[in-house]
Amino acid sequence: MSHLHIPDGVLPAWLWGGGLAFALVALWVSTRATRNESSRSVAWRGALGGLVLAAMAVELPLGPIEYHLSLVGPVGVLAGPAAAFQLVFVVSAILAFAGHGGFTVVGLNALVLGSGAVIARPTYSRLRMRFAPAAALALATGVSQGVSGLMWIAVVAVALRARPGAAGLGRVALLGGLALPLWLAGVLIECAVAFGLARFIARVRPDLLPTAAGIGALPADRGSASR
Amino acid sequence: MINTIGRIDQMASSGGTPWHRASAIAKLLLAATLVTLAVASPSLTLLGVLWAGAWFLALTSRLPRALVLVAAGYPLVFSSLFVIGSWDGSWQTPARLLLRPLIASLTAVWLVGTTPYPDLFAPLSRALPRSVGDGLFLTYRALFDVMARAERLWRALRLRGGTSGPSRRRLTLAGEGLATLVLYGFERSQRQYSTMLLRGHSGRVCGCRHWAEWTREDGYVALAGAAVAAAATLLWRRA
Repeated sequence: MSHLHIPDGVLPAWLWGGGLAFALVALWVSTRATRNESSRSVAWRGALGGLVLAAMAVELPLGPIEYHLSLVGPVGVLAGPAAAFQLVFVVSAILAFAGHGGFTVVGLNALVLGSGAVIARPTYSRLRMRFAPAAALALATGVSQGVSGLMWIAVVAVALRARPGAAGLGRVALLGGLALPLWLAGVLIECAVAFGLARFIARVRPDLLPTAAGIGALPADRGSASR
Repeated sequence: MINTIGRIDQMASSGGTPWHRASAIAKLLLAATLVTLAVASPSLTLLGVLWAGAWFLALTSRLPRALVLVAAGYPLVFSSLFVIGSWDGSWQTPARLLLRPLIASLTAVWLVGTTPYPDLFAPLSRALPRSVGDGLFLTYRALFDVMARAERLWRALRLRGGTSGPSRRRLTLAGEGLATLVLYGFERSQRQYSTMLLRGHSGRVCGCRHWAEWTREDGYVALAGAAVAAAATLLWRRA
């Protein structure tokens, strides 16, 4: 559920084409927002991108199923909205080259992951006024994971409904019924992992976490609190 | 997944077939043509021919058969969801929904298995905004380093009982483990930035320039492209 594993050629052109166009516009907007950042921030983003890909490769055994983390929430909080969208676009492109999702789905993948990553820091900053860092990051991760999951289900449902000979509402509802428990499990898992992650960082390097005012860790990021 | 990327990366750099010696730009153009035709073609006959062509490319690049089979089979799992979802009683619709991803995935494995990543990312980074293009290189470089640390971390967690006990404890411990990787990633990015400055970083990570250097082996890529174009012209309207 962390990203769309949909290969090339099964989605209608208007859906993946529209997704790609929208993602490119969002990418352009995000690069405008980060145009004053130094290469130091890009190197930090690269490290976080590598961490996301590494986390996606790790299988967490949970009874009969294995879960792959996405870390969109924590990464969105650490990088900030604009930088996080660029990060997930790069991650989606590398996933496509690795055969996890088609080339045509890169835009939709970036939107699914990016929607969660973009809202993570604003949510965290609001929650940070009332909660400790660990609880705030866990809750912000829950919100961002929830949004990403809903986007995932929406894209798959639209794709199934939009095909010639499309699935009836019953089959789409069945898909939703199957996906919902997995989505909820995913949200809880990501929250628990984010809790541990923030608890450790808050003890060891609290300056890496943004403040309640949304100000980030890197010097280049301090001027972009509102982005 | 990372093992797969690592193996492909090694083969892309060390392979000795004509495909490996051909320029990245020629292979990218051929791959883009194949994927576009696979996604757009209404003709099953053309899709069948393109599928055979993609197999030819993948097998002649001397990639391990197991890897090619995994690449060929991977999209089947996810395509089957759409095959079931849009079942109309005919065999043509499922055949189209299965052939299209197979052509694209075999083409992708041929492309990434014969082209080193700097050559592959260099043209893409020129088409993307600077920070995103740079991020592509830096993320890929960070990936193997972070992954090696992640593997050691999970091994240590297992050995020290971090994978036993209630789920909440295990997940929180996994989060704390990932936090050490975040800290490592931060320190690594600071060192990397200093190294970039020492080496005269000009504000943009430049991929190598080999990607656009035409070679004699591009003739093979052109030949394959001509065959694909001829097949598309002749078979586009065939059922």
